[in-house]
Amino acid sequence: MRVHEGEVFGLLGPNGAGKSTLVKILMTVIRPSRLQGSILGKPVGHKPTLKKVGYLPEHHRFPKHLRAGEVLDYFAALSGVPRSVRRRRTDEMLELVGMSDWKKQRVGEFSKGMQQRIGIAQALMNDPSILMLDEPTDGVDPVGRMEIRDLLIRLRDQGRTIFINSHLLSELEMVCNRVAIMVKGRVSMEGTIDDLTSASKRYEIVVDGDLPPAVEASIGEDVSVLESDRSRLVLPNADSHKVQPIIDHLRSSGVVIESVQPVRESLEELFMRAVHSTGEDAATPGAIKGKVSQS
Amino acid sequence: MTAVVAILIDSYRALKAQRLFKTVLGLSLVVILGFASFGFNEQGMTFFFGLLDVESEYIYEGSKWAKTLYLGIFSYFIVTIWLGWAATILALISTSSIFPSFLSEGAVELTMSKPVRRTTMFFTKYLGGLMFVFLQVGLFCIGAFLVVGWRVGEWNATIFLAIPLVTLFFSYLFCVNVFFGVLTRSTLVALLFTVLFWFMTFGVRTADDTLSMVQFRTETLVSMSEKSVETAEGNLKEYREELVEIQQDGSDSAKEYYESQLKRGELNLENEQKSLDERRETLNQLKPWSITLDVIRWPLPETSRTIGLLGRWVEQDNEVSFEEIISGDWGEGGEEARDKRPHEIASDRIQERENSVSAFRIIGKSLLFEFVILMFAWWIFVRRDY
Repeated sequence: MRVHEGEVFGLLGPNGAGKSTLVKILMTVIRPSRLQGSILGKPVGHKPTLKKVGYLPEHHRFPKHLRAGEVLDYFAALSGVPRSVRRRRTDEMLELVGMSDWKKQRVGEFSKGMQQRIGIAQALMNDPSILMLDEPTDGVDPVGRMEIRDLLIRLRDQGRTIFINSHLLSELEMVCNRVAIMVKGRVSMEGTIDDLTSASKRYEIVVDGDLPPAVEASIGEDVSVLESDRSRLVLPNADSHKVQPIIDHLRSSGVVIESVQPVRESLEELFMRAVHSTGEDAATPGAIKGKVSQS
Repeated sequence: MTAVVAILIDSYRALKAQRLFKTVLGLSLVVILGFASFGFNEQGMTFFFGLLDVESEYIYEGSKWAKTLYLGIFSYFIVTIWLGWAATILALISTSSIFPSFLSEGAVELTMSKPVRRTTMFFTKYLGGLMFVFLQVGLFCIGAFLVVGWRVGEWNATIFLAIPLVTLFFSYLFCVNVFFGVLTRSTLVALLFTVLFWFMTFGVRTADDTLSMVQFRTETLVSMSEKSVETAEGNLKEYREELVEIQQDGSDSAKEYYESQLKRGELNLENEQKSLDERRETLNQLKPWSITLDVIRWPLPETSRTIGLLGRWVEQDNEVSFEEIISGDWGEGGEEARDKRPHEIASDRIQERENSVSAFRIIGKSLLFEFVILMFAWWIFVRRDY
């Protein structure tokens, strides 16, 4: 697994896959029994390198006696940020996450969403070369999630390298350039979302009523009909040219077409495929005759 | 360095945020006010800022006894009872949560992921805990210094020796607290085991002192019995010689008298010998227990002796001691000299033994204990996966 400079990288995986453990190893919270890897060109475990890394752990808890500004100041000081820089960046980061008005409030009084925003701000205090976020939207309500997502998009647009560890696929799909899927401690897939889902590109044709068996028999091997919904036809790996003869054939057979649309596998489907592919009954990519999931 | 300062500042903020910190400060103020309410005038002592006067022949404004009494109350009562017991219990309650909170899930990941060595974090956090007592005792000593200066007219800077001594004393207990805090990550368990450990050291010390008292008293009794046996033997020898002389040319009544004296002397010798044997037997029975307690006590920190050093070090009038004032001995030879009783001799020997233990040994041995416990705690702290 490799995270390139300036990209937003998402690490996905089911609970217990080892995502948080991996991040904790990278951040020296856990000592690995065996390890090969580097951060910013230095071996994992090299403490001084962490000066250039920002980290927001999952289920983090700030000391309740601290105020928002003090939290940022304290953790930045632990990262070795000089006092004069801390003062300036505290205001900047609070502004960035929209928490300037709460600078002097104790963090113990904050909602989960506010805590997450302060968490991201503290992770940014040392102006990190890479930002590690472990489940940044966990436990946050939909409004808070949208705010955090917008913030991540802003950070991405600033050219920051961000490593997000999450199982909230729809959110990652919106912000990540590349993803890796981890299952049982191993990376089973890695690449851009486009690359990973390209094999699943297909066309779906929806007809009025069930497709008559005679038409189905004559339509050809490349087209499958969903068992659960016999009005839906699927053409795996097809482009617009391949679809035209099928449309003509259906129309000439008197079938009324309701819609024709290109479909690509969602990140969720990709994720489920990666998870299942580790088992014996692995599903193959894309739509397969008689075994096609709905998108 | 930035990180070390940040951790210390955070420790201070954490302590300041606790209600108990302010409570202890408030109680210290009450104790200081109570101390200040006691004073002297030309006739004797005054209580409650002069509301109650008690005349005294010896203790009055400007007398040597007044000064010793005032500093003695500070060293032997206020420091020992308030700082050495009550304030320490409150400080343990306040500081027990430092490491368990630091290592709690969600908090530890944030700090451990920073570019600060775990060893630095551990020892800085440890110093942060000691800061509670250091600040509390520091403020208390400033108050005591002002009160003593006002009441006795002497600005005695040795009062400030209470700051390192009480902090040292607290550190012996705090290292145990940290060890259990790091091991179990539970505030309650850490506090419970620390208090148990404290009571254990107190129990061992009390048992050792009591046994020593009994041992010294028995040794005195053995020595008295030896003298009695010697005297009885001398008397018997004398009676026998007298009887030999009287049997040659003495009267029957004289013979009868010496024979009865001889019998009584033999009986007396037998009783004294029996008593001596019993006391020697008791002494022999005590010795293994005494050795066992010494062995148990050796590795334990010297909590009471460390606090007791203040009594030795706070400058007082050398002409009269606080113990003499408390026992009503004004050092003027008014009381007739008499032989001391066995328990008084034993008590004196205990006191002599305590005074003979050097400060270097008291503090060095205790710091060795603290070092060993801290090394265990540190090892767990730096090796654990969080």
